[in-house]
Amino acid sequence: MFQYIIRRIAIAIPVLFGVTIFNFLIINLAPGNPVDMFINPNMSEADINARKEALGLNDPLWEQYASWMGNLLQGDFGYSFSTYEPVLNNIADRIGPTILLMGSALIIAYLIAIPIGILSATKQYSFTDYFATTFSFFGISIPNFFLGLGAIYIFAILLPIFPTGGMNTLGSSGGILDTLRHLILPAFVLGTAIAGSMVRYVRSSMLEVLGQDYLRTARAKGLHEFVVNNKHALRNALIPIITIIGLEIPLLIGGAVITEQIFQWPGLGQLTIQSIGSRDYPTLMALNFLAAITVLFSNLFTDIMYSVVDPRIKYN
Amino acid sequence: MKYSIKKVVSIMTILSLLFLAACSGDSATEPTDTGTKDPAVPATSTDASTDSESMFIGLVNPPTGFNPINSGDVAAMFIQKFFQDTLLEMDGPLNFVPRLAESFESEDGQHYTVKINKDANWTDGTPVTAADVAFTINTIAHPKSETSQGANISMLDGLEANGKLPEGETELSSVKVVDDKTLELTTTVPVDPNYMKEVFGLNVLTLPKHILGDVPIEELSTHPYMQNPTVSTGAFKFVKYEKDQYVELAANEDYYAGLPETGKLFIKIMLAPNLVGQLQTGELDFNVSKGIGKIAVQDYDTVEGFDNVTTSIEPNIGFQTMFFNNDKFDKEVRQALSMAVDRNLLVDKLLKGHGEVIDGPYTSLSPFLDRSVGELEYNPEKAKKMLEDAGFDFNTPLELVVPIGNKVREQSAPIIAQSLQQIGVQTNITNYDFPTIMSKGKAGEFDLLLIGFTLTLDPDVSNVYATGATYNFMQYSNPAMDELLIQGKQEADVEKRKVIYSDIQEILLDEAPILTLYSDHDFAGINKRVEFGKPVSFGTHHNLQKWAVSGAN
Repeated sequence: MFQYIIRRIAIAIPVLFGVTIFNFLIINLAPGNPVDMFINPNMSEADINARKEALGLNDPLWEQYASWMGNLLQGDFGYSFSTYEPVLNNIADRIGPTILLMGSALIIAYLIAIPIGILSATKQYSFTDYFATTFSFFGISIPNFFLGLGAIYIFAILLPIFPTGGMNTLGSSGGILDTLRHLILPAFVLGTAIAGSMVRYVRSSMLEVLGQDYLRTARAKGLHEFVVNNKHALRNALIPIITIIGLEIPLLIGGAVITEQIFQWPGLGQLTIQSIGSRDYPTLMALNFLAAITVLFSNLFTDIMYSVVDPRIKYN
Repeated sequence: MKYSIKKVVSIMTILSLLFLAACSGDSATEPTDTGTKDPAVPATSTDASTDSESMFIGLVNPPTGFNPINSGDVAAMFIQKFFQDTLLEMDGPLNFVPRLAESFESEDGQHYTVKINKDANWTDGTPVTAADVAFTINTIAHPKSETSQGANISMLDGLEANGKLPEGETELSSVKVVDDKTLELTTTVPVDPNYMKEVFGLNVLTLPKHILGDVPIEELSTHPYMQNPTVSTGAFKFVKYEKDQYVELAANEDYYAGLPETGKLFIKIMLAPNLVGQLQTGELDFNVSKGIGKIAVQDYDTVEGFDNVTTSIEPNIGFQTMFFNNDKFDKEVRQALSMAVDRNLLVDKLLKGHGEVIDGPYTSLSPFLDRSVGELEYNPEKAKKMLEDAGFDFNTPLELVVPIGNKVREQSAPIIAQSLQQIGVQTNITNYDFPTIMSKGKAGEFDLLLIGFTLTLDPDVSNVYATGATYNFMQYSNPAMDELLIQGKQEADVEKRKVIYSDIQEILLDEAPILTLYSDHDFAGINKRVEFGKPVSFGTHHNLQKWAVSGAN
């Protein structure tokens, strides 16, 4: 097991290396450059050139990549081209809010989806099933921005229970409760959307397992229906669901661009959009690097979880 | 047994992921804290303050940083002016009032004497001196400095043709510190004092020499002061910037113009629709408008309907244009296409009348606007005939390139396309983000290009119309125009300048290198509790110390 993990990490290194080269090329292929963003028409040509020189944009591409990689190996992600702050600071300021938002959204999604999915599978073709299926369709098909703006309209303007956006009340001392109040709307909007598709996965995977012979055996032994469903059936039904959960972990880091913007949530999604808009190469490279690492780690995590849920799977 | 090992391993994997996330958070926030070097300014003493002494204003664009000599974006410049004073302020068209400088005088248009307010101190108690201003100018002029201010000092004597100091020199001979509070500046040739006051006096923000004086020029833009400018000169002090959320400012108790009435000022960053929502809930005192905090035109009626909000509509000097690719279209075609676009439709329908049609680069606010040179008529029949006479190819669609970002401008593209369609000219509209537009513009990869400008009230437009200028994407070149633009810049007498700029307007109207479309007015919603302070065309930052809101909301 331990060897297996080491091996997986060793394979990941060249993959990461390739990803950075690929990203670097793609980012540099995009038309325009960071200096062009200065829409100030009163800026002189000499100033623009001095800035290009200082940012190293006049160097050949491979040299730019080599110096980026060299700095990275020393743990230095460089300075942002647009804010002149260390890239790591920029990311660090936003990763907390993003993980908080996406984490709560995913937890809300699972708390909604798994019970509803099980219920809808065990009571197939009942009213509950139809209700759950309809709910999941709504979750999948209503776009986040609509749900978000609707939620703001109802819960912040018509019934002023929650704030319209942000993470803390300005001028107040803040605190956990205050952040929680700001978190509820965006987390539920995101959670509902994720739960929508999740319900369908849980339902179909549960249905497949419910037809198996060993469940009839379990019932024949005289086990209670609750135990049959939630212990014997659920455990096997969870295997495909773990794959889905594993795929969704990178979302924790990626953030939800649109929801973050609508609720002014200061997360990585907003940073990504701004960095693309200003062609902030170092920040984009760092964000991509972070995303690549998260994907590789969550894949590893998923594989390990398989063996926990299903003792037949062994890694050696 | 084996089972439990797996369990342990899996839990450890989860924990390590969490740890990774957490540790990157902690280690990287440290440098920002240590960046606050100044012990005299206490860190954020954020007591829960009452609403009556806090003001909340909203804008859309997040600022990129607070470097006084290198603010690349309008939002940053707007925010900086709350805590960094410029030498002068303008409270009406070309009407200059003292701010950090108590006087800014010249007898001949070439020699200027600047007197810094004798009570003006940095927030750490150090007096603001002429040496600070001289240090700022020399830093901007340094060939290696990263700055957006170069053009604002380019009139000073002793600079190379590119506006920089000669290699190896560090001090500009035309900047002379007379005493602690007096500075003398000399320009290469006499210029219109209003040009000097506007371009230099309204834009140059002073750097604190006692903090940045010893920093090597290469390290200046990444110096912690540029992110956390705790030592400043303005009515407010910088408290903190929560990324993409808000900038918090607090009253500067020692402000030379008097104690500000507002204890705390929050500049909040949000999407345009949220500006409307927060005006309604009273979470905002006003939106900034001015291109960085605009409310969408379709929401104007909504905002006007709010009981707790009054509205203000102010003209401004920004304008939108359509560039013609002059390499592809000669004068007759450009004139014809200009004549075919119904610009009144844009103002009446798209802007709901909150704007004006302009026939050149000057809006009705400009003292240099000369309406007697004539106006551009809308005449599709004549336009069609002219195109036919010029042998225009009606079968090839024109590429109309549109930047995203300004919603009104995006919406104007199909209306323009429809106008052209009426005389049989086909267009393909393509939208790109701004960096792409800049690269396409420079490469001349467009037939028609929509782009907007906010220049100065001073009539100099050489950055757009001079041969080879930075923003001359249309490749317009006319030696007579180049000559006039140089004359206009170097003429000190206002009346003579007016003649020159009338000539320029006449040539531009005739040659139609670009079609100037409209100037949209700034629309702001202002909470009724605001007693003083709102976005205006000129001098929004004037008298910041008087900004106030009435009692509890």
